[in-house]
Parts: sequence; structure tokens; C-alpha cells
Amino acid sequence: MRQWVKEGMGATVALDCDAELMLRVKDGDGASFALLLEKYRASVAHFLYRMVQNQAISEELAQEVFLRVYRSRATYEPTAKFTTWLFRIATHLALNWLRDGKNERAQQRLDETSEDIPAREVADRAPSAEHRLLHQVRVDEVRRAVASLPDKQRAAVLMHKYEEMEYSQIAKVLSCSESAVKSLLFRAYETLRVRLAHLA
Amino acid sequence: MDCPIKTQENTDWLLDYAAGRLQDDRAAQLERHVEMCQACAHFVEAQQLVWSALEQWEPEPVSLDFDRRLYGRIDQAKPSSRLPRILRRAFGPLQSLWRPVVPLAAACLLIVAGVVLHAPRAVIAPRGSQARVEKIEPEQVERTLDDMQMLRELEVTLDQGGHPSKSM
Repeated sequence: MRQWVKEGMGATVALDCDAELMLRVKDGDGASFALLLEKYRASVAHFLYRMVQNQAISEELAQEVFLRVYRSRATYEPTAKFTTWLFRIATHLALNWLRDGKNERAQQRLDETSEDIPAREVADRAPSAEHRLLHQVRVDEVRRAVASLPDKQRAAVLMHKYEEMEYSQIAKVLSCSESAVKSLLFRAYETLRVRLAHLA
Repeated sequence: MDCPIKTQENTDWLLDYAAGRLQDDRAAQLERHVEMCQACAHFVEAQQLVWSALEQWEPEPVSLDFDRRLYGRIDQAKPSSRLPRILRRAFGPLQSLWRPVVPLAAACLLIVAGVVLHAPRAVIAPRGSQARVEKIEPEQVERTLDDMQMLRELEVTLDQGGHPSKSM
């Protein structure tokens, strides 16, 4: 039977299946936790990677996210969508890490040439070396452009673009109003349009 | 419709339109405007370029041992939290009995401590004094006998000098 929870300004929404899984985790069902991990492992890890732009750090933070989810199971209440809660934890950890200035090494690595980073293989046809190099240069440009955004704008863009979140959900994750999110996104994309214009 | 760029209203429509996420009715409305507005057309074109550039950025896949490491960390946290639960289950029914016993035991402990502290202390001889046996050397015995012999001879000498001895 589908449960109902209050969300936002008293509106009642159907409890999403992830929240139902989390409630089972709360009741001691380890298999439900494994399902949630399987479903969101990649998206959380990739979100964090794009936030901190360091593979090792992003996986460490992703582990911390799921560890906190597991530890909080006893007190979990489905007051919002599960993904809102999940990405709120992830964003909080990423913003804290960035704020603590632990990203100096990662930034340094980002500014260096990416010769040590292996180019990703395209599955169907082997691309030429020139094509791979060109692709890598474009990706580095994108990475630098995203890294240049203020932390909160970056988080908003990543949730909007890659997680396809609604403005209202991003607002809940970032603990701000929906109009503030729209403003954040507008400014962020404006910066990206300027920085990536030469890729046309 | 009013130009979103000029009015700075519904700018999210432009973003969503460029991403192909705008609702059909709004998309149709905006499309008609974009066909006539050069600024909005330029905006949409530039935004679509950003969108496709962002799509090229694929992160590295998550490590294969991610889950193993995570469950390892979860297991590390478990023993400390399991033990009290086991104890609670085992001793839970006795909890009501424990409550009055604890202050009673504390009171008894205080009484015993008081008695022990205020009781007269028995004089206890230093350990080992009774068992101490002085070792007498044969030389010492011989020397004592010599001394006695010497005293006797001295008494005899005095007797011969005109003073008779009482003992002899």
C-alpha cells in the first residue's frame, strides 16, 4: 500500500518507492539498502566527482554519503523525496570539502595538462589519435569551465543537467527558494556560455 | 509572449527549452517567440552548445571494490553497536530487579567502608620478625668462651693479691 507524506507547504505527495525502500532499511532489511546503493551509487559518485573533480576524493565522499544514509536509518522519516535527502547529504559533504580548502591539490591537478589521464575508448569504432586528443581537450575545457563556477552554482548546474532535477527539488537540496535556484542557474549557465563559446 | 530576456521573467523557460525539457504548451509558445526574437534565438543556440559540451564530460566509472569497502566500513561500526543490544536483550527482563539492588548495594558498600575505616587497628608485628633466627657463628661462641675464661683468671689473680673472692 502506498504511503503518503507531507511535503513543502502542506502538500501531500505519494511516498516514492525509494523512500519505501529506505523505510524497509529502517526495519532492518539489508537487501533494500543494497538496492538503493545499486540504484544511486553511480549518480552520487559522479555528482561528487564533478563537484570536487578528483576521483579518489569523490569516491571517499560517496562512501561517506552511503555510510551516513545507513547510520541514519533508525531516525529516517520520509518528509521529502529520497533523492532530495540523498543529494542533500552529498552536496553538504562536497560543499564542506570545498570550503575546507582541501581541493588545492585537485585544482592543481586540474590546471595541469591531462596527459596522464587515459582517454576514454569509444565502444563501437576505435577513434583516431587526433579525434581522441580533440575530445580530451574539449572535455578539459568543460571541466575547467565547471570548476570556475562558485560552489553553489556548480552544484545547481550538476543537479539540473545530470540528475535532471526539478527546480523545486534543487531548492530543497540547497536549502533556498525556487527563485534563488533559477537565478543561480541563469548566472551559472551565463558563465558557461561565455567560457565555452569557442567550442562551437 | 513577452521576451524573457528583456523582462528577465521566465528565463527558466529558455533554459528548459534549450534542454528540450519544457512542457509542450509552453514550448510551442516560446518557439513562436524565438522565431521572431534574435536575442532569444542566440540565447537558445548558445545554451544548446553548453548543453552538448556538458554531455561530453563523462566521469570515470566507480571502482569495482566500492561496495566491498563500504560494507567493510559499515561492519567496522557494527560490533560496538551490537554488543549493548545483545546485553539489553539478555538482561532486559531483569532490568526491573536491578533498579532497587543498585542503591542498596551502594549503601552496603558505604557501611562496610565506614566500619573498616573506624575500627581500632590491631598492632601487627612487622612481617618476618618472629621467624628471624640469628645465625651464630662458631667463632663467636669460641670468642665468648675465651672471654669467660679470661674473666675467671682475672678473679683468681685478684684473690692472690689479698682480696678473697666470694664466688670462689
